[in-house]
Amino acid sequence: MTDKKVLVVDDEIHIVHVVAIKLRNNGYEVVTADNGAQAFELACKENPDIIVTDFQMPIMTGLELVEKLRGNEATKDVPVIMLTARSFAISKEQQEDLQISGCLSKPFSPRELLGNIEDILYQKELIADKG
Amino acid sequence: MSSGRNLYVVVAVIVAVGLFAAGLAVWQNSGSEEGWRFAGYIQRLGLVVPVCYVIGAVGVIWLGWCSLRLAGGITSIAAWLRRDKPAEIKPAGNAILNCLVEAINTAFESRTSRVAQLDGQVKDLQIQIQLSHRREKNTEAIIYSIRDAVIVVDEYDKLLTANEAAGRLLGFDYENAHHKPIDELVGADYGEFVDFLTQSKKSKGRATRREIELTKDEVPKTFDCVVSCVFDQRQQICGAAAVLHDITREKEVSQMKNDFVGHVSHELKTPLASITAYSEMLADGEADDEETRKEFYSVIQNQAKRLNRLIEDILNISRIESGLIKVSREPASLAMLIEEQLQMIKSYAEEKNIEVVGQKPIVFDQVRVDKDMISQVIVNLLSNAVKYTPAGGSVKIDTEVDEIARLARVNVTDTGVGIPEDEVEHVFEKFYRVGANKKQAKGTGLGLNLVKQIVEKFHDGRVFVTSKVGVGSTFGFELPLATGEPVVARASSP
Repeated sequence: MTDKKVLVVDDEIHIVHVVAIKLRNNGYEVVTADNGAQAFELACKENPDIIVTDFQMPIMTGLELVEKLRGNEATKDVPVIMLTARSFAISKEQQEDLQISGCLSKPFSPRELLGNIEDILYQKELIADKG
Repeated sequence: MSSGRNLYVVVAVIVAVGLFAAGLAVWQNSGSEEGWRFAGYIQRLGLVVPVCYVIGAVGVIWLGWCSLRLAGGITSIAAWLRRDKPAEIKPAGNAILNCLVEAINTAFESRTSRVAQLDGQVKDLQIQIQLSHRREKNTEAIIYSIRDAVIVVDEYDKLLTANEAAGRLLGFDYENAHHKPIDELVGADYGEFVDFLTQSKKSKGRATRREIELTKDEVPKTFDCVVSCVFDQRQQICGAAAVLHDITREKEVSQMKNDFVGHVSHELKTPLASITAYSEMLADGEADDEETRKEFYSVIQNQAKRLNRLIEDILNISRIESGLIKVSREPASLAMLIEEQLQMIKSYAEEKNIEVVGQKPIVFDQVRVDKDMISQVIVNLLSNAVKYTPAGGSVKIDTEVDEIARLARVNVTDTGVGIPEDEVEHVFEKFYRVGANKKQAKGTGLGLNLVKQIVEKFHDGRVFVTSKVGVGSTFGFELPLATGEPVVARASSP
């Protein structure tokens, strides 16, 4: 069991659902949103340890969400994993500039996503311990 | 020739002797001593003096006659020379004149031959000049007829020629702009083009190419600009020719295709992602109970169907456009077709908390249609309405029959986001997506184009749309009743 909280954002309800089940089954607390604007509000309110977001969403895209998160004091350091159906949608430069921790191409493996989340949170903890 | 000359000498000597004798006689009569002595010598010669006189007179007459003949001969030669087309001169019978005539004939033949030669050369040159003029005119005609802008400058960047398209694009009078500096003609707004033209010329390359953005009538346009250096016979650059081809539309189409591929791949990958994820969850035993497992199976099944629908949409568009699709028209009730599709769309609408309202079947709305195709039209219109209607809204579908016009009409009205006025006319275009609504929902921009093609291309019908931003939209179509005429022929309004 872990006390980590994950915000899952996707306008595709089935994807949110399956990721939430995978994470909950592995002890994570999950909050969900179906668009970027709602996700930003939840990120400010729920203070998640990591955010998993889709790239192409109505109202606010995944990239716009990350830009907004990075511009906000409370959410500027939260790790983000981007799910995208377009392999080359995000350049390496964008990924580095916006501190996107990882990108997974759709269709993705929930198992692989869980592994990425665990790795990123572990690294975050190590950095926090050293700090 | 020489005998003639000798004759002249003899006559001249006789005349001289005669004249000398006459002179002596005159001198003798003067009474001087030397005159008498000399006259004594002469008297001893007897009849010599009178004979000499006679001979002298004959010689003078003969000389006069010769002079007359010579004058006549010269006159006839002069007259002959004055003729436009002189024939060869016949010998005049006089040695001198004959000689002169021969010389003239020879010279004339030589000159005639030379003139004929020069005349031929002049004609050749005239032909070449005419050909050159014709080529010039042809070249100008070709340049003027080219839709692309063509500009030719000399080595000093002064305009040699330009066509109407160039004048229109760069804003100068192309017929009265010759030999004017190109930078003065086109103005500072087109500095990028002028710089490229001059740089390309300096580079001495055969041809250079660049995409140039030019704004015409406040509309930005993209041009494929190719500049080719013009070389003279010494391989020195004597100018440059620039061709500006408008590729704005190609760029737009290319962008639309890229967007389409992006959208299609996204749309295809989304259900595929669900299928992959749920399958893996089942394989990994993440579904704890039977109910969850059933739910996962159901999701996989539905997403597979969705994937199939998408592929069908794409294939249908492709088949319709290629003309390979087979249409099976048969009598059908529009209301019944709507009723069949309503059940499917209602479950989708419920997910979004949107109410879908149908109507009671109308008995007489019989049309002759391909049922699968018109069902596709109804589904596309209904799913679009649900897609662009916010939660809590409603979608209504109804049919009506116009007995006078002999047509049936289907209206799908939503309380959705609506479409801006300037974009309404484009919504049935392939790949077109309303800019303001792109973020509202995903789509390929194919659904409404498919509707239009099915209704208008295969059923002689007509599609229509009315919309107001923030209020909602009404999409619909008209089809001729089973016994009616094509709707498009009447061009009636909804």
